[in-house]
Amino acid sequence: MDLTIAILVTVVGASTPILIAALGELVVERSGVLNLGVEGMMLLGAIAGFVVQFHTGNHYLALLCGAAAGMAASLIFGFLTLSLSANQTATGLALTIFGTGFSALAGASYSARPVALMSPIFPDLATHPVLRVLFGYSFPAYFALFMVFAIWFFLKKTRAGLILRAVGENDLSAHSIGYSVIQVRYFAVMFGGAMAGVAGACFPLTLTPQWAEGMTAGRGWIAVALVVFASWRPFRLLGGAYLFGLVMTMELYAKAGGGPLSAIPSELWAALPYIATIAVLVLISLRRDASTNAPACLGKPFMPSN
Amino acid sequence: MMRFRLEKRPEPSKLMLYGTPVAAVVLTMILGCLLFSAIGYNGLRAVQEIFFTPLTNPYKWQDLGIKAAPLIIIGTGLSVAYRANVWNIGAEGQYIIGALAATSIALLTWGMSGWWILPLMAIAGMLGGMAYASIPAFLKTRLNVNEILTSLMLTYASVQLIYYLIRGPWKDPMGIGFPQSRLFSEAARLPNIIPGTIVHLGVPIAVIVALIAWFVMSKTVFGYRMRVVGAAPHAARYGGFSENKTIWLAMLVSGGLAGLAGMLEVAGPFQRMVPGFPTNYGFTAIIVAFLGRLNPLGVIVAGVVLAITFVGGQVAQTTIGLPDEATGIFQAMMLFLLLAGDILVRYRIRRISPEASAGAA
Repeated sequence: MDLTIAILVTVVGASTPILIAALGELVVERSGVLNLGVEGMMLLGAIAGFVVQFHTGNHYLALLCGAAAGMAASLIFGFLTLSLSANQTATGLALTIFGTGFSALAGASYSARPVALMSPIFPDLATHPVLRVLFGYSFPAYFALFMVFAIWFFLKKTRAGLILRAVGENDLSAHSIGYSVIQVRYFAVMFGGAMAGVAGACFPLTLTPQWAEGMTAGRGWIAVALVVFASWRPFRLLGGAYLFGLVMTMELYAKAGGGPLSAIPSELWAALPYIATIAVLVLISLRRDASTNAPACLGKPFMPSN
Repeated sequence: MMRFRLEKRPEPSKLMLYGTPVAAVVLTMILGCLLFSAIGYNGLRAVQEIFFTPLTNPYKWQDLGIKAAPLIIIGTGLSVAYRANVWNIGAEGQYIIGALAATSIALLTWGMSGWWILPLMAIAGMLGGMAYASIPAFLKTRLNVNEILTSLMLTYASVQLIYYLIRGPWKDPMGIGFPQSRLFSEAARLPNIIPGTIVHLGVPIAVIVALIAWFVMSKTVFGYRMRVVGAAPHAARYGGFSENKTIWLAMLVSGGLAGLAGMLEVAGPFQRMVPGFPTNYGFTAIIVAFLGRLNPLGVIVAGVVLAITFVGGQVAQTTIGLPDEATGIFQAMMLFLLLAGDILVRYRIRRISPEASAGAA
């Protein structure tokens, strides 16, 4: 029982950043833009969050600055792909290369310096042997859950969400009835950048209390894959993210030793999230409605005839 | 106020197509100088050390050659794939698996001698890279799974495979506990082609590979097919070119060349498998392919340019204390600026006079 609770708590912690980043990317993709720079924006968010936490000790300010860093990076992507119609795949890759390099440069003098992890927001309940499953987390875990609901509500129930979906499904029609496709996509891209930045900041603030080069270790790419897995639906994203959290938690327990899990080489455990991502993409492709949910304009630059 | 407007060109501009990569490199120097000055380094000196010292100092030329070789080989393969609109971004993984396949031959033949060992390693490297690239190719053609994500995920998995092999089955018995393979025997190491330098056989191979690819892509039916499928998939289908076959070809060529680069790297500079073997050549080669305009001849030039930034980055690290990571920033800026310039290939900027814009409104 204790072990089950401990595992569940770790699962939620490990999946939270992936969930936050994936939610941002979901909104971006629903507007018809494919931003493959999530990993780079997460790393920028991680280093910004770390540096601010290190110097101010304020976790919330650190998360906010992580969001700002991710959003600033997403504006580079937005300018190139939306204003200059550059190739989205290549620009996203460039953003990831840039984020990896820039965060490594900015963090070079901060490696191996510890910071304090965020404390749970319900300190009394967080030590309860059972209730900590629900109340034992710091702010980002609840923020992620709230955003699942908020984004679902936004996309399904609000006018702005309808416009965003229209822009992603049929940009020319949306344009012809007077919506600014480029403007809507800029907002979506910036939102995605801010979410990726927060997600990245979660790594030093809630998981490992230090800066390490490339510390997001491909989680940004897993977030991109999860959006496909979830068929662009927020609640499915929730399930998918927790599933990945479970895979990653199993790795931690296997490494800690003991039990049948440790019979498998630790390298295989470390590779498992990536292999699982491929497996999940294969499974989802076997479903008949696999790609019918993809926004029709995904990845295509908006080019009204001129 | 002066206003500008983009106007579509009837034909993509040749001048802009080949001029924008040059402009991107020059602008990277200017912006890089400003950026590094802004964060407290001597920006001018940084640009000088990164972009010019490797060229002006003859002692650095051999480094340029051996850094450029893997970039050119992988970049050539990627340029073929990207031409066909197949987004293999897992070249790093195929490079690693190619190197592991070559290492397995080197370890199996350990202590033996014979001219056949190196060619066998090269074949194993290519087959390894092809086999690893065939996973995304299979998933893409059979199940329509996005090749970007699968090829990238396989890269992360391949790094773990290195760790597993050199900590376990391939661990050097003489390595006093270090996780690394044995040092290859003489027959499994690439010969130096210029005595007294570190320039190995991989350097001329890289140039030959790019030249062959250029010939195939511009002068043969195969090349025509790849270009048509990438540029006009619908027309290609009418022309009887199977899209799936093209995806397979693109993946096998890019994976095989990445595998070959991995073999050359492990048999050349490394001479054994170590945890630090993955050096991101597979990712940097993406920039090389784009900077070279997906043209194998351009890839040779772009490979040298990126090699300059690597070698120059090391120079700047020792002379002015610029962190190693600065190189990556210069490389990413180059790609950003190149992509930004792409619009000038298809569009031209027209100035709109105030009267005309007032009239239009």
